[in-house]
Amino acid sequence: MDSGNSTAELLASPSQKQLANTRGVITSGQTVLFRLPRGDIKSVVLKQNSTVSLGKAVTFHANELIGDPYGLAYEIVNQKLHRLPPKTIQELELTEATNELINDDKVVQPLTTAEIEALKQSGVHSSEIIQKQIEQHANFALKTEYSKEKYKKRKEAKFSKTFATIEPTLYNVCEYWYTKDQSRIRDIRADALSQMLNLASVRPGGRYLIVDEASGVLVAGALDRLGGSGKVVNICNIESAPMYPVVQSMNLDQGMIKRTLVSLNWAMVQEDYVPVLPPTEVPSGELYSDKQTHRISKRKAVVDQLDANRQDFFSGEFDGLLVSSEYDPWSILEMTCTYLSGSASIVFHCPHLQILVDLQAKMKSAGGYLGANVTEAWKRKYQVLPGRTHPTMNMSGSGGYILHAFKMYLIHSALVFFHFRSDVFAVSMIPMHKRYSFTAKRSVRSKNWLQFKGRKSHPARM
Amino acid sequence: MWSENREVQDGDLVIVWLTREFIQPLQVTAGKLFNSKFGSYRHDDLIGLPYGSKVASSHGRGFIHVLRPTPELWTMALPHRTQILYLADIAFITSWLNIRSGSNVIEAGTGSGSFSHSTARTIGSSGHLWSYEFHEARALKARQEFAEHGMSNVTLTHRNVCRDGFTIVDAADAVFLDLPAPWEAVQHAKSALRKDQTTRICCFSPCMEQVLRTVNVLNEHGFTEITMYETLMRPHEVSQIPSLKSVRQVGEELKDMAVRREERRLRQIASSAASRAKRKREGTGDESDPGEMQEDVSLKRVKTGEGEDGKTSNTRVGAEIRKHSDDHDVGSVDVGGSNSIVGGSGSGRYLNVSRVFPEVRGHTSYLTFACLIPFPPDAILRNSTE
Repeated sequence: MDSGNSTAELLASPSQKQLANTRGVITSGQTVLFRLPRGDIKSVVLKQNSTVSLGKAVTFHANELIGDPYGLAYEIVNQKLHRLPPKTIQELELTEATNELINDDKVVQPLTTAEIEALKQSGVHSSEIIQKQIEQHANFALKTEYSKEKYKKRKEAKFSKTFATIEPTLYNVCEYWYTKDQSRIRDIRADALSQMLNLASVRPGGRYLIVDEASGVLVAGALDRLGGSGKVVNICNIESAPMYPVVQSMNLDQGMIKRTLVSLNWAMVQEDYVPVLPPTEVPSGELYSDKQTHRISKRKAVVDQLDANRQDFFSGEFDGLLVSSEYDPWSILEMTCTYLSGSASIVFHCPHLQILVDLQAKMKSAGGYLGANVTEAWKRKYQVLPGRTHPTMNMSGSGGYILHAFKMYLIHSALVFFHFRSDVFAVSMIPMHKRYSFTAKRSVRSKNWLQFKGRKSHPARM
Repeated sequence: MWSENREVQDGDLVIVWLTREFIQPLQVTAGKLFNSKFGSYRHDDLIGLPYGSKVASSHGRGFIHVLRPTPELWTMALPHRTQILYLADIAFITSWLNIRSGSNVIEAGTGSGSFSHSTARTIGSSGHLWSYEFHEARALKARQEFAEHGMSNVTLTHRNVCRDGFTIVDAADAVFLDLPAPWEAVQHAKSALRKDQTTRICCFSPCMEQVLRTVNVLNEHGFTEITMYETLMRPHEVSQIPSLKSVRQVGEELKDMAVRREERRLRQIASSAASRAKRKREGTGDESDPGEMQEDVSLKRVKTGEGEDGKTSNTRVGAEIRKHSDDHDVGSVDVGGSNSIVGGSGSGRYLNVSRVFPEVRGHTSYLTFACLIPFPPDAILRNSTE
């Protein structure tokens, strides 16, 4: 660890890393999220030399955006992009105005829709239209400053041809999908997702088991955290690797995904299952064309890879299990738990509390799990404007429920059990290597024990 | 950071889990003894055991769980030098600030190091954390702790950042300020943040007055998208209760009770009539009205028969109490294995239910976030070609 005394040395180190970390810049082929004036978000795959259309009269050339950092705001002026300075909060001067004299019954805006449409056609800037509306407005001067501000904001959202790009951070992508359709990501709100990743202690270099039927939000989160080193084994319900829309939104490096993500389905994760696969050997004595042999060798590579992935899964010692699934959670635990290392974190997310409540009760009675705990993600957003700070009027109801527990080795609870009943020497007096076999014979869960012992000979963790 | 070996080795830091409320770190040292109210344990017995083992005390009366340290466990077990950040806030801040593998992060102040451990884990060896602490003794302690925990991606500096600023310029992806007056450090944070991409800042303040001052200063220095959140994890207590009885059944029980009461009354009348006849035969009888007295007694019983209702409600309360002792049972069966009391909800004699704990954490701090957008985009390389 640096002592932190040499400032010059410190200044030198980050610059190299900066060069590598350029994910905050828009490039061709990326999925870009756009925030439109009304607050809605649109997702577009940006292709070089193409035209991007974000709605009526909001079209521009993709190349204008490529190379810009994410997060900037733009206005379309004569079909060209014009970068806008970041908007700061304007302090409002308080006046004595109230809504005492404002009534809803009379027409306050003499400007007709047709006239506004004509103004738009003539190509005047949106701010001029708004100015005109304000001038014609019968009661505008009576409004409070807050009310005037709200009025202007509403009109801007209606007329302005502006948008901003949103950086595809895990938080932003999760928020986007949650707002778009929360059921597609099984109610995993950004705060719940971050809690899951921290509870499972996902870190670069770790190995994790994931069951993701939440459009890939868990896989995306884990891959983002791994940053290309470590392994994610995703257990899926379909024959081949699923295409996850959330992973796509993240614009993760394809090479990195290939290096770290493996998909196996629920048949392949059974040790006694022999996959039904076409032959991978060229039968001797028959003549095959080059094309055919090439195809067979290609097929062999796929089969070999599958076999290697299965062996890697069976070698176990995974650092954590993250689940968001529509299937019975207990069956998922039974199928995966033996492949988790001792002290590994088990994290289940579910939109429904009762499912996790039943799971926790089962885990407690079965044993082998420690500290099983059910929590609900809660988050409240505030509007922070000078003189107008308060919680937002609407809030998201729930980010779902999370169950977290640690995997424990059952063998040692058997050991304790034995302890209680026998008056022989304390087990701790017996040398360690003998102690295992000593208890194993008596362990009710000898099957578990064998798996536990068998893994001792496996290669060291990655 | 910490050991990645399967088994505990001499010198490893392990987390000892005694109960949910009693979790502590332990430096395993051959020859030493670990004593607690749950028994005494020889460190030598821990060495060689796989992480995630349940270990019996040398007298066999108690046991402990030996866990691999994670920043989340460390947060639960660490020695408090200051008020610390907990999981819900840490996770949310990490996510909003886009702290990930390879991030360059600034943190002030270090405090007890709860956030530091989590961040050091998340950014990995390709990232870097610059942590600042103005309290000298705490800085020394934290520096020693980070070294012991092998956190080579952390640089700890003893410094008052509100007065003297940070030690890096245009380099950080994210800044986290947990200071009493974060607004004093905002301008320094701005200079430490890189200017070629969108960067983020979070200020962690328990009071609304602090938030308002911070928001003003963030705004003055050109930070945008200022938002504020509160986040919590609401813990649910899971327990088992006997499956709920039907009121029809209660009605049937009351009917039975009424029948039995009537039988008893008739028996008593018969027996008092018999004894009256006996006394009469023996000639000692006082002829007044013992029979009516008996009637009174049984009438009184009938009146308290409304108390029989009370009695049934007592049985119900009894069931509630049993629920709590069942909790205890469930907690302890994990040694013995399958006990048949657990079924799916609604099946069998017991129900799995949950409720929010009676008293939960209601507020930690307000999390004020903001972005620094690279504008005017002079720093953008592409601009030179335009």
